[in-house]
Amino acid sequence: MDWKDILPVLAGAVVILAVAFVVKPALLGEPIGLVPSGPVPVGGPPAYLPPAPVPTPTPFSDDDEAYSRNFRWTAIDGGVQTIQVRIPEALFHEHRETPRFSDHNSWGRYALADTDRPILEDLARRIAPPTANPDESYFRLMNLVFFVQQIPYDMDDNATSYAEGALPRHVMHVKGGVEYPKYPIEMLVDGRGDCEDAAILMAGLLDALGYDTVLLRYSDHMALGIRMNEFNPYYARYTPRYFTYGGQHYYYVEGTDFDWWNVSVGSTAVWGRPHPIGDTSSTGIPSVQSETPQIIPLRYVPEPGEYRIRPVRLPAGGA
Amino acid sequence: MSPDNPEPSGGLKIPGIPDLKMPRLPKLAVDRRKALTVAGVVVAAMAILLVGGMLFASYHEGQQIAAFRSHVSASEADLFLVSGKVASHMRTPTYGLSIAECDAHVREFGAIANYGRAVTAYHRQIVAVDAVPEAYAGAQSAYVRALDNLNRAFTFWSSAAAAYEMRDYPAANRNIVEADGAWREYNTAINDYDHELRTAEEGTETLPA
Repeated sequence: MDWKDILPVLAGAVVILAVAFVVKPALLGEPIGLVPSGPVPVGGPPAYLPPAPVPTPTPFSDDDEAYSRNFRWTAIDGGVQTIQVRIPEALFHEHRETPRFSDHNSWGRYALADTDRPILEDLARRIAPPTANPDESYFRLMNLVFFVQQIPYDMDDNATSYAEGALPRHVMHVKGGVEYPKYPIEMLVDGRGDCEDAAILMAGLLDALGYDTVLLRYSDHMALGIRMNEFNPYYARYTPRYFTYGGQHYYYVEGTDFDWWNVSVGSTAVWGRPHPIGDTSSTGIPSVQSETPQIIPLRYVPEPGEYRIRPVRLPAGGA
Repeated sequence: MSPDNPEPSGGLKIPGIPDLKMPRLPKLAVDRRKALTVAGVVVAAMAILLVGGMLFASYHEGQQIAAFRSHVSASEADLFLVSGKVASHMRTPTYGLSIAECDAHVREFGAIANYGRAVTAYHRQIVAVDAVPEAYAGAQSAYVRALDNLNRAFTFWSSAAAAYEMRDYPAANRNIVEADGAWREYNTAINDYDHELRTAEEGTETLPA
């Protein structure tokens, strides 16, 4: 047998291999030859891009023009106190020029406004000075509550509720009136406010002292919820009302009123004590007595329940 | 009457056909040894082609599996980095944060979501077009589905972060709920991937656990 007998066989094999490796891949647009299939990635895998830092606002100086407000109030021991608060005018006007959030769920941001925080921390320390005696913590708390409860109530649609004597330009017109949730320092400068203003101011002051609070929103009212463990004082003639949020108990705290009576018949002077924590029955507000409020946390961050990426087993073998 | 010269009774005479002489085929000189050699060569060539083809097919499948493996491995390596970012973010306590810190926390959440989206989309594009042996098609499909669901989950996270920026907290919550759903579907797809991979490698159909 000669080579000439084998050559056609080899030629046939070469043709078959050429068809398999060159012609078919070329026709089907596959890679030619013995190369791994799959596309060659264009560029490398994406990299993490951290968020751009947000410039922090310049803090207001003590030397700036400031509103000075004096609050005369009664502490829970019956002693009359006077506290002066200085608030930079620029900060107040900046707030007044800030549009309001129409969504109640964002109102916790007012209580925690970073610009108001130093003023609230200072005010809270003066109303409820730090003490080494843990038994006094309840009195500190109640003094703060009582301080806010004694700030006069005024409705959002009254011009008298605003220091400038006119409605701010960012009041929100809602069904049946206007709505204007105030930043804490706005209520301090105005010296008055309505239920959400009192709840926001109280939340800001209590948060500055480290208390965990939420806003309780009813159909026609807003109050504060303060996290406490099994608050049930022996002297209470009511069952303290609390609402559960995130597995914690938040007790009702009224911000707009306190229990008061006239000092004597015919006198306009009043005598009183703070509206107690957890007491909803004596508020006289029907929605508070009948409704379950919407709970609005002061701090909100989206928190997913599922977030674990599972590693997988790789295919075994291969060339 | 002669058969060569028929002469029917009618008087007609049919001309005779000349004798035809068949040419003789040349006698084949059959060389049995040579014929067997040629047949052997042909059979050997066919056997070589057959075995070669099978070897090539096996090699080609191996190459496909190796490519799929390397692409899944690259995807897992990048997802490990994403997972690290996610885990670190989730470990950050949010209690007591200031508003500025809350905002920064959510901006980071959004950045991680965008990172996760980009990584899953990138690897999905690569793994989805891998040519794999038929036995691995189920595993490939499940892995692509897992990447798709992860991509959806990160997209919802991104939307939640955007809603937060707009101070639309209910919308942010809705997106988080959707993301949790997509995440659960991702978990299901990963279970399917494990099952399909086991089936492909063991060569038998097994019931899911």
